[in-house]
Amino acid sequence: MPSFLQEVSPPAGSKGRIMLSDVSWSVILMQLFFGLALGSIFVLLASGLSIIYGLLDIVNFAHGAFAMLGAYVVFLAVSLSGSFAIGIVSAIVIVAIIGMMVEFFLLKPLYGKDPLLPLLLTFGLSVAIPDLIKIAFGLIGKPVPYPEALSGATTVGPLILSNYRLFIIFFTLAILVSLWLFLKKSDLGMIMRAATRDSLMVQVLGTNTSRIWTTGFGIGIGLAALAGAISVPMMSATPDMGVEMTMVAFVVTVVGGLGSLGGAIVGGLLIGVIVAFTSLIAGEYSNVAMYFCMAVILLIRPRGLFGEIGRE
Amino acid sequence: MTKQEMLKDVEPRPRSTIVWATAVALILLPFVVSTPLATEILIWSIFALGFNLLLGYTGVLSFGHAAYFGLGAYTAGLTLRYWHVGLWTSLAMGTAASMLLACFIGLVAIRRRGVYFAMISLAFGQMLYFLALSPLKDITRGEDGLTHIPSVNLFFISLEEPRNLYYFILAITVLMLYMTWRILQSPFGRLLQAFRENEERAKACGYNTTLVKFFSLVLSACYGGLAGSLNTLYLGYVPLTTLFWLTSGTIVMMTVLGGKGTFLGPLVGVAVFLFLQNTISLFTPRWELFVGAIFVMIILLFPGGIMGTIQEKYLNRKMIRLQKKAATG
Repeated sequence: MPSFLQEVSPPAGSKGRIMLSDVSWSVILMQLFFGLALGSIFVLLASGLSIIYGLLDIVNFAHGAFAMLGAYVVFLAVSLSGSFAIGIVSAIVIVAIIGMMVEFFLLKPLYGKDPLLPLLLTFGLSVAIPDLIKIAFGLIGKPVPYPEALSGATTVGPLILSNYRLFIIFFTLAILVSLWLFLKKSDLGMIMRAATRDSLMVQVLGTNTSRIWTTGFGIGIGLAALAGAISVPMMSATPDMGVEMTMVAFVVTVVGGLGSLGGAIVGGLLIGVIVAFTSLIAGEYSNVAMYFCMAVILLIRPRGLFGEIGRE
Repeated sequence: MTKQEMLKDVEPRPRSTIVWATAVALILLPFVVSTPLATEILIWSIFALGFNLLLGYTGVLSFGHAAYFGLGAYTAGLTLRYWHVGLWTSLAMGTAASMLLACFIGLVAIRRRGVYFAMISLAFGQMLYFLALSPLKDITRGEDGLTHIPSVNLFFISLEEPRNLYYFILAITVLMLYMTWRILQSPFGRLLQAFRENEERAKACGYNTTLVKFFSLVLSACYGGLAGSLNTLYLGYVPLTTLFWLTSGTIVMMTVLGGKGTFLGPLVGVAVFLFLQNTISLFTPRWELFVGAIFVMIILLFPGGIMGTIQEKYLNRKMIRLQKKAATG
């Protein structure tokens, strides 16, 4: 099963299926906690995808591949410097720069042409990049140890909450708040929101939309890299982890609504929690669970929870 | 010549001779490359022909088409193994199963916009893969794949012989080629092309675009299911990879590489892709890197694919000739 789903599986000895008699409040709350942590990563992935789509109308098929790059940068940085913090920061910065170069050299020439082309191009990248990593780092996953400061667990009543997962939840919250502030309050953020609504108008008003798009793409990729970076201690950096992450980003985006940041957040947490509980109750369906949610949303509310009509 | 006649000359419409010429070329194929490679080319060509109808002619991108291929493969395999059906029945059931799946997915999702449908089809493909991997492991044997599929005979000819199997599949391929040609010549085919050029306009002219897309999807799924079933015959077992996303991605790459929206594009794309894959694999297992990079370059430089670019050049030359004629005549 996909690597990140191992994180929410019930502890060893329960073979993926918990009897009803075992379920108590603490088990439920623990799974909820796991689900929120997992969901936070989903949120980061989906919001990056949403920003890129909202701004550039591009479905970034290589989104997971960039997340995977973030994981590997963390591995490298931690091997070289020993500091996890440096690892995360360098992951975001380096991969975002790579992303911006990709946008500038590979995607920009395609604007104005067949809208399928950028999607196909990112798809080609999603196939080529993992192999590149395999050449550089080999096929076996690269583990990264939990940072000292964040290992161990905090006890809250009957619950034992792993510190690292607590970190994931609160750090994601912090990132989301910063993102919100940036989009709402800063000049660049306002321009970006305007460009999402009506890029032609923004151009007419004199802004260099080309740079906005590159920056926006960079931010989206940065979020993906962050998602990959913070999941790395939990599951090792593997070349093929990108595929699952892209799928997750897609599913959450469909559930939350394409182009909606709020949808990405709610959708991500929701899917995370659902996957966690499915893992508890019916382990073998945990992979299928998120696709099932997506199918349900498609049937009852195709535009997603927060999507706008007409965008679907 | 009148202007209409001139324009008709310019528009490339495949003539039936293409079908027969290709058939002849394919007859000779096993003498040029190994029989297994040739057989794979045929199987994927059928898959790609159908996919091209959907992507190249209707303009709908499905990123989960492996679902139809895999479902056809498993259905054929299961019916052969457990129900002991004959050759034709297994093929028919494989095709039918995929057709039904496409009806379901089409009902749910075909109304959605292009990118949305791409993501949705991808997710459905994944769902099928994970279902086959774990919950339905008793039926599909999960990662091990479905084995012990009995060999079949075509009348009295054993299809276990690679050459026999190749020519059998060739016959089916030529049939599908001919069918595709007929579809493109038909009013429906013309409608598809009008649709691809300008969906809004086709809608304004009164055509039910949703129905067109739906029908196209189901049709392409039939090709996929048939190809999957044939794949089961060829391999003698059903690997889980038939449902894997890379299979979906591969058919996209093959079709775009060959030239979406062209008649022979799918075959050319399949042949080139498989050839590249085989050749590069001799040197390095990292063939995906090269193929992916080539694909990226094709998108940037030759989005029409191989046949598309050739057609453009041919079109240009014809245009220039006609212009000269019009100027002087």
